[in-house]
Amino acid sequence: MTEAESSPAYAGAVTRALAFAVDAAIVDLTGIFVGVVVGLALSVLKTPDKVDHVLLAIGAVAFVVWTIAYFVGFWSSTGQTPGNRLMHIRVRSSSDEGLLRPRWAFLRLVGLGLAALPLLLGFLPMLLTERRRGLQDLLGRSVVVYVGAQAASLMEPSSRPASRALTTASAREDAPSLR
Amino acid sequence: MTVPVVGSGLNLARRATSAAADVAGRAALAGLDALLDSEFTDEAVKRVLASPVADRAVGHALRGPLVDAIARDITRYAVLERVADELVADEAEIERVVGSALESPVVERVAAQVIESRLLDTIVERLLETEELWLMVDEIAHSPAVTDAIGQQSMGFADQVAGQVRVRSQRADARLERVAHRLLRRPQRPTGG
Repeated sequence: MTEAESSPAYAGAVTRALAFAVDAAIVDLTGIFVGVVVGLALSVLKTPDKVDHVLLAIGAVAFVVWTIAYFVGFWSSTGQTPGNRLMHIRVRSSSDEGLLRPRWAFLRLVGLGLAALPLLLGFLPMLLTERRRGLQDLLGRSVVVYVGAQAASLMEPSSRPASRALTTASAREDAPSLR
Repeated sequence: MTVPVVGSGLNLARRATSAAADVAGRAALAGLDALLDSEFTDEAVKRVLASPVADRAVGHALRGPLVDAIARDITRYAVLERVADELVADEAEIERVVGSALESPVVERVAAQVIESRLLDTIVERLLETEELWLMVDEIAHSPAVTDAIGQQSMGFADQVAGQVRVRSQRADARLERVAHRLLRRPQRPTGG
């Protein structure tokens, strides 16, 4: 098996953005649903304002915990969030084909936030590097690859995408500008 | 002394009668054989069957107890079962008979006439008016097999849509990367899917 045949097809920015949008919708809708249920219950109970503020803070923390648990849980357990599964992509370790460890998954999530802060510039390396890695991937030591039929179609020489040809040098580091 | 003589006489007479009957029977059979071999017999039978007498005879037979007796005997001696067994035993013959019957133009014409006839329309109309039909349709529509099939169809459609989104997103990936490379004046990647 040659290097070209064994190296995976890395997922691009648009595909990953769509997957993330699906995940964000799931996380947000779940949060909204829980918030509405709790809010309706509290409206009947007539709790004091201070209690409401405390519950609001608890809710905010719970939402953050839920978001972390969602992404870290999926990335470190199966490598696929529901959005990733829909788009047939998978997050895995950059050094081997294994899953991310929870701490690296958490760092990857932190990296997502950091990448978005400077006007999304942290995601720019995904468009420029050979393995399509953004800041979050660099922090979380991860790559995102196509799986299943999607990967198989990209492995065919006739339909190989632009970036696919360059992923053969997967052992190399990413763009020099990121070093 | 008188009784044995009378007895012997009666015995002799009985034997003589039996011998005469035997001779008469043989003679009658010989006559019948000669009659059946005669060239006039066939013609005679044809004329009898063609005459109104045959019609009336058949009519009398069908009106009388003969038909009932025949039906009873058919049932009693399992005539139909025996015939069916004989037929089933020779599958090749059945297939040949059924095949030739279905291929015959007569069957085709009959089928065409049935389809074009008012009878079929009437049957369908009556069928649609029956409550049982719609109960059966409801039963089938709610059956697990049908609901599973519809579910699979829906999933298949969703898969198709998702598949299209995936293909288009890959193309968008490639386009976006080309634009980024051009804007930042970096060397272009080889083009492809």
